[in-house]
Amino acid sequence: MKPRPPTMREKKRYLLVRIDPPFPDPDPKELYFAVVESVTSLFGDAEAARMMPVVITCGSGYAMIRCIRGYEEKARTAIVTLTSVGERRIALHAVATSGTLLALRRKISMLSLISFEVVASLRFRDREYAARRYPCQKVDLHEKGIKSQELLFLTQDDLEES
Amino acid sequence: MMDTDACIHPYPAGNSSVRRMAIEAGALGFSGIVVPGEMPGVYQGVHIIPAVLIRENDIRKVTGQIRKHGASGILIFVDAGDTGFNRAVLAQTGVHGIRSIHRIPKNAFDHISARLAHENGIAVEIDLYPLIHERGVSRQRVLNRYNDLMKLHSRFQFPLILSSNACSVLDLRSPEEIRLLCSLFGMNKDDTNQALRTISTLLSPLESVMVVP
Repeated sequence: MKPRPPTMREKKRYLLVRIDPPFPDPDPKELYFAVVESVTSLFGDAEAARMMPVVITCGSGYAMIRCIRGYEEKARTAIVTLTSVGERRIALHAVATSGTLLALRRKISMLSLISFEVVASLRFRDREYAARRYPCQKVDLHEKGIKSQELLFLTQDDLEES
Repeated sequence: MMDTDACIHPYPAGNSSVRRMAIEAGALGFSGIVVPGEMPGVYQGVHIIPAVLIRENDIRKVTGQIRKHGASGILIFVDAGDTGFNRAVLAQTGVHGIRSIHRIPKNAFDHISARLAHENGIAVEIDLYPLIHERGVSRQRVLNRYNDLMKLHSRFQFPLILSSNACSVLDLRSPEEIRLLCSLFGMNKDDTNQALRTISTLLSPLESVMVVP
């Protein structure tokens, strides 16, 4: 089959979104289903079909989402209402919009990589947690346990005070 | 004038400490956050503004609570109720805002309440939490209520405030994202910007010049 000439193809836009919390990376397929679900629930099936949202890549705390040109604002609005991927609580924040993937890849390379230090065991309010320390005093605590695995977002000052 | 999230609920109500909320809110572009029951302060450049949430159905109890907290100079927000309750609350002095408009019956906040809110400079809260977290009919109902509120706002020009009611840093949204969400119920960019800055106005209201003899 002969491919459609470029002038007759649909124009696309690419969104760079920051994933919060950045680690562990969500499964791209699960993220795709979550994005489609939030678009469909907010704008309906007809608009989702016109928008055609697709997750291109996902990793290192960032994801790239493609949509049809003219629908990028609606895609960003739908992304604001995304709260979970599978069972995991998540938030996506749009960082940039571009007409090419190359421009977004350049943008990612300009952004500082998210670094963290893992602390195997830490006690907070008589409970045992595994911790991730990020720059700017941020500390994420994951409770160790089988029944409940509480997730806390604190700062270094909070840990020193407790 | 600073962009302020009009209500958040940090640890122990939520899973994020107030300091962490302040860091994340600052990174998203806010200059202040309103935190019920917290001490005033500044953390990493973000103002922490204390508030009291009054959740009573009886206007006498509300009056008592306003009298108790009125002198402390903190923001006082009252949960909305039925028509009579709302009118009575909006006639009170010392109230800064009325909240949970999306939870009350449809006509409980009517044109008379809107006029009272305008006359007394009492802000009406738009809670973004249900827009983000609800799905289906319940979100449609909230959008419908906010559409109605915007119609009243365009006529009476009462102050509006925008709050994420975030219990976690994952529930916080940036001012730009809030503008996108507000466009869903017909709130334009200028109104959204103004609503984000209303808290500053509530903290230091414009008063007419007094001549001291």
